[in-house]
Amino acid sequence: MDVRVTRLEETPLLETWGDIDHNTCGSIESALKEAIDSGSDIVLLDLSQVTYIDSGGLSVLLTGVRLLRERGWLVVIAPNANVRRLLEIVGLLVDPTFRVYDDRQAVAAALVERVTT
Amino acid sequence: MRAEDRSFDRVIRVKAETSRLAEIRRFVEEVATEVALDLERVFDLKVAVSEACANAVEHAGCDAVPLEVCARLRARRLTFVVTDTGLFRPPCLPRESFQNRGLGLPLMVALMDEVSFSRAPGGGTTVSLSVLLDRGAAIPA
Repeated sequence: MDVRVTRLEETPLLETWGDIDHNTCGSIESALKEAIDSGSDIVLLDLSQVTYIDSGGLSVLLTGVRLLRERGWLVVIAPNANVRRLLEIVGLLVDPTFRVYDDRQAVAAALVERVTT
Repeated sequence: MRAEDRSFDRVIRVKAETSRLAEIRRFVEEVATEVALDLERVFDLKVAVSEACANAVEHAGCDAVPLEVCARLRARRLTFVVTDTGLFRPPCLPRESFQNRGLGLPLMVALMDEVSFSRAPGGGTTVSLSVLLDRGAAIPA
């Protein structure tokens, strides 16, 4: 599975496409850990093009949240309704280290606010 | 034949490898679409069946046992049965991601109308995942 790594307001932004399952989650897990290991307290993950996720992908998100706990946020951008439902089932939507935004503009605004407050 | 009486059986048999999960999900999607389930329920079935298959692949270990998924429509109930012939065995390599193990089963239970497990005398495991096409309606006896 391809993962594109860019930055938004200096914060690492990972983007991927298609299905995140037990077979494909490895590359997103590596990219996420690399971003966290490089010292980022916030990592952004654009899921707008992700059509499917299961416990393979959800485990990666939970690992990211665990690594960022007390430090920052794992931010997911634009998950579709089905993906969002699974995020809710595994408890991520009520986790203070996890955030969901509808689009990149909203994320950028939140990042600016975090820096200035 | 009235639509209510319709029944069918479909089967897919693949190598027990995670690289085949996408193919199994396409099979689930085809079957679920055939009985006109809405997109949300189709997604739920794909996740639940994929989780059961991922477990089966893990149980299969390095053995070259096939993974079989049967779809069965009876009395407005669509059931996917995942059978693996491997014995349950704990993972041989500790991996950090195993800290999040155990998500698959709660997902299956949360997404399906009915989930059941059984163990065959030979040691294989069967998982049955069902959705009722008329959810909320009484189940025919």
